[in-house]
Amino acid sequence: MSGLLDYVPGNTFLHRLHPLSKLIFSFGLCLACFLTQNHWLVLGVIVCSLLQAALAGMLKPALAVLRALSKLSLLLFLAQVFFVRQGQIVLSLPLDIYITDQGLSFSCLFVLRLIAVTLPLFIMLSITRMSDLTNALTRLGLPYKYAFALTTAMRFIPLFGKEMSEIMEAQTARGVEFDSKNFCKKLKLILPLCLPLLLSSVRRIENSAIAAELRGFNVRKKDSGYKRYVLGRGDAAVLGALVLILAAVGLEHFYG
Amino acid sequence: MIRIDNLSFAYGGGEKKVLEEISLHIGEGDFLGIIGPSGAGKSTLAFAVNGVVPHHFNGDFYGRVTVDGLDSLEAGPEALARRVGSVLQDIESQLLASVVEDEILFGLENFSLPRAQIEERISYALAAAGISDLRARAISSLSGGQKQKVAIAAIMALRPKIMLLDEPTGELDPQSSLRVFETLSQLNRLHGVTIVVIEQKIMMLCEFAHRLAVMERGRLILEGPVEEVLLYPEKLEAAGVNIPRVATLAGKLRARGLYQGKTPLNIAQATAMMKEATKDAALG
Repeated sequence: MSGLLDYVPGNTFLHRLHPLSKLIFSFGLCLACFLTQNHWLVLGVIVCSLLQAALAGMLKPALAVLRALSKLSLLLFLAQVFFVRQGQIVLSLPLDIYITDQGLSFSCLFVLRLIAVTLPLFIMLSITRMSDLTNALTRLGLPYKYAFALTTAMRFIPLFGKEMSEIMEAQTARGVEFDSKNFCKKLKLILPLCLPLLLSSVRRIENSAIAAELRGFNVRKKDSGYKRYVLGRGDAAVLGALVLILAAVGLEHFYG
Repeated sequence: MIRIDNLSFAYGGGEKKVLEEISLHIGEGDFLGIIGPSGAGKSTLAFAVNGVVPHHFNGDFYGRVTVDGLDSLEAGPEALARRVGSVLQDIESQLLASVVEDEILFGLENFSLPRAQIEERISYALAAAGISDLRARAISSLSGGQKQKVAIAAIMALRPKIMLLDEPTGELDPQSSLRVFETLSQLNRLHGVTIVVIEQKIMMLCEFAHRLAVMERGRLILEGPVEEVLLYPEKLEAAGVNIPRVATLAGKLRARGLYQGKTPLNIAQATAMMKEATKDAALG
């Protein structure tokens, strides 16, 4: 079973793009989200990301991420909305608690940005092979060792998730009840598991370093790469779309 | 090909020696099986051969390990990696790419193989490991056994002079384990690759290996041709090694004077042994 951030194989138009285009496009979308103050533009980025996911044949996992993000967003929204005191009061509650129009606008933008920034990165990581991503980062000037360490760290995220669920399953088999609805109680049960997870993670990382070393990682040269990446029309279209999005953000920034 | 002289090693921070005065000579084209209970020092011995000990895991290192003329202390894992292809015990950590073909490509790229050879090597390794159909699959979607085959294929592609495998069939079913051993045997016979396998599946090891080395608490207690090592069932059992039943049977028949031949290593040889023993018994 593949988990979050695992590569989703495919041969779609998006899969075939130059890894650098995928990287630039996803980070460009994130940048657009941070630059704009327009809710509709950020919402547009989310819709664009879902469209990308559908094109890449991974709408289902993208929607699962969106659902998980929505839950987190709701919590963040509630945490934010009561703390902005500027603007017109739209809802007044006892104990001098109220919600203002600016508070609503800021909180909405905040959570929309969170979703809009996460989705493109999630999609990019799901449709790009780690080796391609490493190569793309090296093309951007990052030394191979650092690029490899970065992508390998990302590969470990789902592995650690799997390891944590295995530790939890082992504890459940011994009678620990993790399905408690009490958040504090659940946290109290999970915290002691962090130590075995940390230890096994360190061991795993060490083993990976040994495995890489034993397969010539340290003798790799700058021109050792086998794959050749060619920029095609698809890349031009995607990068063109990004330029348009960023131009729209720029126009909105200066005139809007 | 591999020469280990009076090797002793204790991991840094620990006083207990994990390896004690090990001397072992593995010739070119040999197929050696290393057996022993957990904690016997088998994996550490493998690490001493590929240079991980003492270059990655520091500690007190005494003695000398020479691999294809290179002293492991001076050469280090990078230089040794060109000669020794290692498959580690923890397969999950060993896989570094997200797709099968990229995993095989990793080592080939690192060693800067000519482009013309790379595609041929990938196809060869995938076919030899019986996973050609998995080429474009995401590694995260593979079963434990399939991952193990990918790790083996990634090493095969490098075509090293020595293949060092630490429990390469740990997560494989009997049929796949047999296939791995057959492939290793083929590499050994046809290409002269020296094979060193640490394995718990002793029956299979006995069938394919030329020689066995038995370890117990950091020491090498027995070493020699498989048939000879199996002549010491009591010593093996005392060390916690489960010897093949056919070898136990041969021992019992020998004790009763019913059989004097070689120790059988597979069912066919065991059948022949039983025929001989029952014939002698009938005549007696």
